[in-house]
Amino acid sequence: MNDIKTEKVPEVFYLDEEIKAVKEKGVLDYRSKRLPVWCPGCGYFGIQTAIVGAMKDLGVKTHELVVVSGIGCTGRYPFFVRGYGIHALHGRALPVATGAKVARPDLTVLAVTGDGDCLGIGAGHLPHAARRNVDITCVLFDNGIYGLTKGQTSPTTPAAQVTNSHPYGSPDRPLKPLMTVLAAGATFVARGFAGRPKDLRVIMREAILHKGFSFVHVLSPCVTFDKVNYLYPRLEELVMPLPKRHDYADYHMAVERAMDDELFLGLFYKTEEPSFSEKLDDYAGRSG
Amino acid sequence: MRQVDLTIEICGSSGDGTLAVGEILVNTLSDLGYRALSFDVYPAEIRGFGKCVAHCRVSDKPVYSVGRSVDALVSLNDPYSIEQLATLKPGGVVLFDSWPLREVSEESCVAGRLGPGMYLYGVPFGELSQRSTHGARSRNLVALGAIAGLFDIDAEAFEAGLDRKFGGKKGNVAQTVKAAFRAGHDYVKEKLLKVDPVSFAVKEELEKKDFQIMNGNQAAARGAIEAGCRFYAGYPITPATKIMEILSAKLPPLGGRVVQAEDEISAIGMVTGAAMMGTRAMTATSGPGVCLMTEFIGYNVMTENPVVIVDSQRGGPATGLPTKTEQSDLLLALFSGNGDAPRIVVAPTSVEECHYWTSEAFYLAEKYQTPVILLMDLFLSTCKTNAVLSELDKAKLSANKSPSPGEEGVGRFKVTEDGVSPRALPGTPGFEWTVSGLEQNELDSPSYYANVHTEMTEKRARKLMTALQNDVPRPERFGAKGKVKLGVMGWGSTMGAVIEAVERANEAGLSAAALKQVVLNPLHVEDIEKFVDDCEKILVPELNYSGQFARWLSMHVNKPIHGLNMVKCSPLTYLDVLEEIERLITETS
Repeated sequence: MNDIKTEKVPEVFYLDEEIKAVKEKGVLDYRSKRLPVWCPGCGYFGIQTAIVGAMKDLGVKTHELVVVSGIGCTGRYPFFVRGYGIHALHGRALPVATGAKVARPDLTVLAVTGDGDCLGIGAGHLPHAARRNVDITCVLFDNGIYGLTKGQTSPTTPAAQVTNSHPYGSPDRPLKPLMTVLAAGATFVARGFAGRPKDLRVIMREAILHKGFSFVHVLSPCVTFDKVNYLYPRLEELVMPLPKRHDYADYHMAVERAMDDELFLGLFYKTEEPSFSEKLDDYAGRSG
Repeated sequence: MRQVDLTIEICGSSGDGTLAVGEILVNTLSDLGYRALSFDVYPAEIRGFGKCVAHCRVSDKPVYSVGRSVDALVSLNDPYSIEQLATLKPGGVVLFDSWPLREVSEESCVAGRLGPGMYLYGVPFGELSQRSTHGARSRNLVALGAIAGLFDIDAEAFEAGLDRKFGGKKGNVAQTVKAAFRAGHDYVKEKLLKVDPVSFAVKEELEKKDFQIMNGNQAAARGAIEAGCRFYAGYPITPATKIMEILSAKLPPLGGRVVQAEDEISAIGMVTGAAMMGTRAMTATSGPGVCLMTEFIGYNVMTENPVVIVDSQRGGPATGLPTKTEQSDLLLALFSGNGDAPRIVVAPTSVEECHYWTSEAFYLAEKYQTPVILLMDLFLSTCKTNAVLSELDKAKLSANKSPSPGEEGVGRFKVTEDGVSPRALPGTPGFEWTVSGLEQNELDSPSYYANVHTEMTEKRARKLMTALQNDVPRPERFGAKGKVKLGVMGWGSTMGAVIEAVERANEAGLSAAALKQVVLNPLHVEDIEKFVDDCEKILVPELNYSGQFARWLSMHVNKPIHGLNMVKCSPLTYLDVLEEIERLITETS
């Protein structure tokens, strides 16, 4: 799936035609009646489109879908999806999603989380969800900034970037989320870009289908509070598909590419291992 | 009046088998129909050579508190036992190892430290162990035999107990332990002349009930299983860890799942997620864990989600005293968290109630869609007693208020008269909801309007009032009826000591009564007011310094409250309370 062609955005489009097309596609079945509260131009719209599209592709039933989020701009996501939504506490999407999935393995559970949510306050949970191989899909909406609190440094803000909380520049080295989850033993690791929702939709589809912990890092511009780092034009230049020869079964290659300062897109790593629920079922069988 | 009320302590170093002897003693006495309670004291550190004390109180009537003074002390380690002499009763008995005396200096031999009036019996535990088992490791069982012989407790019952405990072991372990036991027993019968007054004799034979020997942790785990708990997530912490260990073994074969989380926040997060799916879910922790779970307690109030949290309290603040009992988390349980966050708080007062109220907690949580905090403590968690468990009501296994067909599209937080909203479980088509820690309106959308916040805050408070009317038992009164000089109100594990103290005060002609409530929020305030009106003075004994229950009560009653506040690192005894009752009543007259 790494030879996805880079999509072209049409230069001119008409809204009514777009709406008609979207309705026909059936993806609106996965949208709630609430309008997103994100700023116009926010990358999260692109991610939303991709996730909703993937749901449609897979035919997930809305009443069998559980979307868990934390706090931040990402946190509002469950309100805009039709399904059982849990807007949890700051940083705690993964534990809640884990509990939900273990209790109801028959449901599709999605944990959507932001860079501050997942890598800051909730960073303690990420490696553990990964090493347990809980069968959930964790989508990291990474805009490299705290948006909802209006422009402070996040764990992925580049060093020396000036933000509202670091007027002289951030002294902290940014985290590389893919390395974190690879080190912890995640069995599906991918990266997408909000500006390429069609590519992301393919990744999301694979991630949801994956039996085990799937982690999708999505680069996404914050058009309001980040004027220097993750801008659409800049990201367009920075991102590139993983090289053709990249073998997602090769762990060391995946780690190397994740360490790279180049922002590769696509499936970095995938392996098949029993999921957490499968292991628990197996052990329960043994105890009985 | 009790015919028998004896306290026996076995004191040794870890490795001596001290606690094992205490366990067999309680089991056997239970087989004979006595009511017994044992509470072990041991060091927090795992490495050996710490002091261990098995404390057993035995009576012909139920016992809910430890004894303050000891009738008989059995020493397996003299230097440690010398420290225990301070609590020995005048006229108490000491059994010590009279062999070997090598390496024991005169001043570290317990025999040299006895006050006048004490009864001392030397039994060569070590020698008898060598002779009967060709090893010194069975000193503890020789001592057990000596106890049986000296106090004339049915030796055959002990042997049956030993068979039960060691019968399954490989080789002839059961024969060996019985030989050691017999050696101690026969030595005492042949060589010693009993002169002390300690006796287990009862006038008529005791009624043998279906006793279950268990501690509070075992009782709570059992209550949870019987109440249909099928998800547990936790993080190990003394003294609650055992609950997780039991459920880890018992839940999977029943289709339940147990997750050891990376921390307490994650544990309560997982429980929250599982409960939202409609599974009965629980976590158990101690004070420091509750501190970490605080934000989620508020979250579960806001999202009206049924979670059960056991707090087995220990000495605090901070890491505090992990192996010492205390009751200092009441205000934490009642008020922790930001905002107006009403929740149900339950404090069982005995091992039996740990079983009953844990199961009841699941029912209340599900029916009223609220977190329920169960306040146990180290004493309740670890004290073993022969409990008579109550039958649980099968009808309470399912209490969710499901929406009726045709109600599709109803939000998660419909405002109702009783405050409880219909709650569809995920997987139900047409009822998809979104819950949030944000205030939400009836259509699940976040809302910051004053009228919505007011209405929802009232609704969350109202449903606890519904619970109070329908499902919270009224307080129970003990002791003298009508107007009394002194009323005592206790809570949790100290309630047993309070009831015993009031009974004894009445027997001594003192005018006292006690009021017991297990559910500490919501409270039956009218009943409490009525009780307070009947009492000239009010006493609230509790194991904390700041008088937390007294403070909680003083928000509801208009009378000064005398506190008996102890942070003595050990359970409250009825004598502690009785002395205070006597003092306060004498002051009055």
